[in-house]
Amino acid sequence: MAREKRDDSSVLLVNAYIDGELDPANALGIAQRMEKEPALAAEAERINALRQLIHERLPREQAPAGLRSRIEKSVGALQRPRDRPTWRALAASIALTAMVASTSTWLVIGAQQQQVMIADSLVSDHIRALMAPEPVDVVSSDRHTVKPWFNGRIPNSPRVVDLAKDDFPLIGGRVDVVGKTPVSTLVYRRAKHLISLTAVPAASERQINRSPRSINGYNVVHWMENGVGYWAISDLETKELEEFTRLFRTSQAQL
Amino acid sequence: MRLVSTNAQESMSGLDDSTRFRNVVTPHLDDAYRLAHWLTGNRSDAEDVVQEASLRAFRAIRDYAGGSARSWLLSIVRNTAYTWLRKNRAANVVTVEDLEAVELKQTAAADFNRENPETTLIEKTDAEQLRAAIAGLPMPFRETLVLRDIEGLDYREIAEATEVPIGTVMSRLARARRRLLESLTARP
Repeated sequence: MAREKRDDSSVLLVNAYIDGELDPANALGIAQRMEKEPALAAEAERINALRQLIHERLPREQAPAGLRSRIEKSVGALQRPRDRPTWRALAASIALTAMVASTSTWLVIGAQQQQVMIADSLVSDHIRALMAPEPVDVVSSDRHTVKPWFNGRIPNSPRVVDLAKDDFPLIGGRVDVVGKTPVSTLVYRRAKHLISLTAVPAASERQINRSPRSINGYNVVHWMENGVGYWAISDLETKELEEFTRLFRTSQAQL
Repeated sequence: MRLVSTNAQESMSGLDDSTRFRNVVTPHLDDAYRLAHWLTGNRSDAEDVVQEASLRAFRAIRDYAGGSARSWLLSIVRNTAYTWLRKNRAANVVTVEDLEAVELKQTAAADFNRENPETTLIEKTDAEQLRAAIAGLPMPFRETLVLRDIEGLDYREIAEATEVPIGTVMSRLARARRRLLESLTARP
């Protein structure tokens, strides 16, 4: 813009004046010049008319709906390169993976490391579930619906209890994957918080309690019961989460 | 040896990115699409550009340091469009240097000196004429005009999005408007 032509720079100033980009001193200066110079004033009028024309006459296009959903999909694919396997794939691989997971592979890593990995994996599943349209794959507050739903999806039938009377209503269930083993996760709710409770059948796990208490702000409570490792994960406060696990453990197994 | 292929840290940052994307990018997809359409000149190319730009934006979402999310996204769309045009329509991309050279030869004051504003003539322009006139502007003028008069960015935002000094934004914008006015008022 460092042109020396007087008319050129005054046109720039008229444009900037119209766009509200001039400081008060320059704005005043160009306003005064427009009063004295009809050509400048005429140019300002034309520019204003043009801006109004663009504003009024030009249709404001919107992104096609298909584009929006394609973008969400492709970003989702970057986001989750590893999607949860389909039920079909799961069903086909249950027998194999259960065997593999329960024997050789688990032996390779130490018990504590294993605990941390399970906790990590389950916290990931919990977070992923929070991001999904539904945190559960079967939506039901009725344990008679939730429990049978797991049949044929995982090898073991999970213990399902109803804690609605204690203000921990059951929301539903989903299948998560630990290592390569599909496991049952029940989802309970307390106020606006969700609790994922996962039962991981333990092959030959000793009672150890060295699992992390919290991962990335999510509280984790872990206990062993009848050869099954239970993992409760939630953004609930530890105290409330512990109350939940106490209620779950002391309630009668139902159905 | 890892049995578990993701860990919570990755998922947490993933959550952040996806939430950021939804807050920063998604609300401005219409603007992104409009700009891409003006720069590429057709709808299906615009879709490709916006899709590619969205992925770039997602990967770079951590670089977004506040400020106008819209102009941040639009600058990504603009760069993506240029890459796309260079790849697919190299012949049509006029480099800025060429353009400035042409501009320097032209007399700056052209015919704005006319004292009759001729606004009635301007007002008679229909949408298609206007669209064609904007589409006919050389790229640097077109993008500056679109960012200012259609997308409403301020000079500083345009300067950042188009990677030129504010002075250049001013002169391009003035020239873009002048050219438009000439083509709209120079009808038989």
